[in-house]
Amino acid sequence: MGVALEQALPAASHEATLIAELRAGSEEAFAYLLAVYQNPVFNLVAHIVEQGSDAADVLQEVFVKVFRSIRHFHGESTLKTWIYRIAIHEASNHRRSWLRRRLREALSLDEDAAVSEMALAKSPQQPETPYQALEQAERQELVRRALASLAQPYRTVVVLREIEGLAYEEIAQVLGVSEGTVKSRLLRGRELLKRKLGSCMRR
Amino acid sequence: MFETCVEIRRHFSDYLDDRCERESLRSIRFHLDYCASCREELEQMQAIQAELHALPRRRVPPELALSMRVHISHRVHHNLLRQLWVRCENALQPLLIPASGGVLTAIIFFGLLMGWQVAPASNIPDVPLQIVTPPRVRELAPINFNDGDQAVVVLTQIDAAGRVVGYRVLSGPVTPELTRSLDRTIYFSLFDPATMFGRPTDGQVVLCLRRITVRG
Repeated sequence: MGVALEQALPAASHEATLIAELRAGSEEAFAYLLAVYQNPVFNLVAHIVEQGSDAADVLQEVFVKVFRSIRHFHGESTLKTWIYRIAIHEASNHRRSWLRRRLREALSLDEDAAVSEMALAKSPQQPETPYQALEQAERQELVRRALASLAQPYRTVVVLREIEGLAYEEIAQVLGVSEGTVKSRLLRGRELLKRKLGSCMRR
Repeated sequence: MFETCVEIRRHFSDYLDDRCERESLRSIRFHLDYCASCREELEQMQAIQAELHALPRRRVPPELALSMRVHISHRVHHNLLRQLWVRCENALQPLLIPASGGVLTAIIFFGLLMGWQVAPASNIPDVPLQIVTPPRVRELAPINFNDGDQAVVVLTQIDAAGRVVGYRVLSGPVTPELTRSLDRTIYFSLFDPATMFGRPTDGQVVLCLRRITVRG
């Protein structure tokens, strides 16, 4: 267990063992769980909350909740789906309270800076020239803004499908909706993104 | 199957995720062959999908990962007893090896020291540590009276020095001749005095005297 297995999601047989150890209160098992899920959950939460810097707080809350509620997890879904469900619930709650606060307070000028300071993994496709690098960075920023401007139901589905790579069934389990709803939200989300980004993609 | 562009574009999302049925897939491909507008629309969606896939993934900074583990550990050990236990463990664990080494060394030295300084064995018999012991006959003088098979029972008083203070016949014929014989037997016998908590004291002892003659 450890950093070496950071990206490897546990197999179904191992998952049962992991859950049993988590229920027994093993800190080692929890450290393994963190190593496996902290980055995907952080990425997901960062796309849902309005301020990227809040993702850290939400992430902490998510894993505290996971540790506390693991005894009530009876394996109706996979561990991944269950953790994602908690993450989306926490992130949505946080976003709602942030929006309420925002109505009362002036918007901080450092907001964008906070987002850009978040640690980003290197893109798999490295640009060859500085010009390409700049172009790619601009394009990614546009995509990120367009994604952030989507209404939350559409954004969540698009993030879960396109960025986290979840299947329709998994998304339906995470969000507690039918597959038909997932399908229609995804269609609507993609259309909205195309409308916002269509001109950029055409260039 | 699909007739209008609007209708076919509704299936682009499924097409991108490879979730179209065979019939729909054939219709879409057929439509795309002649409709440049829909082809461009699909290409845009594919380009956006590729951009979304290529978005850099946010990673938890190492300091956040560490602080999160600490934070969660605090929350998990919120119970006061467990908190105390963890603190004790943290405080004692660094001392465990030095303390064990110290105790082991002390035991070895103590063993060696005790091996050299063995207490010498004493030849003096131990003083009985019973609370009270009665006087005992150390050596009985010869019995000179002959009273047949009847025994003479005598209550003898012994002082702290083991000397006979006096005696009284409890049973048996009291004749002047027997009294003289008893005087010789009892006053010439040696006694160990009675003891109390290991110290000599006055005491009484009952003697049952009988002469036994062996014919050979």
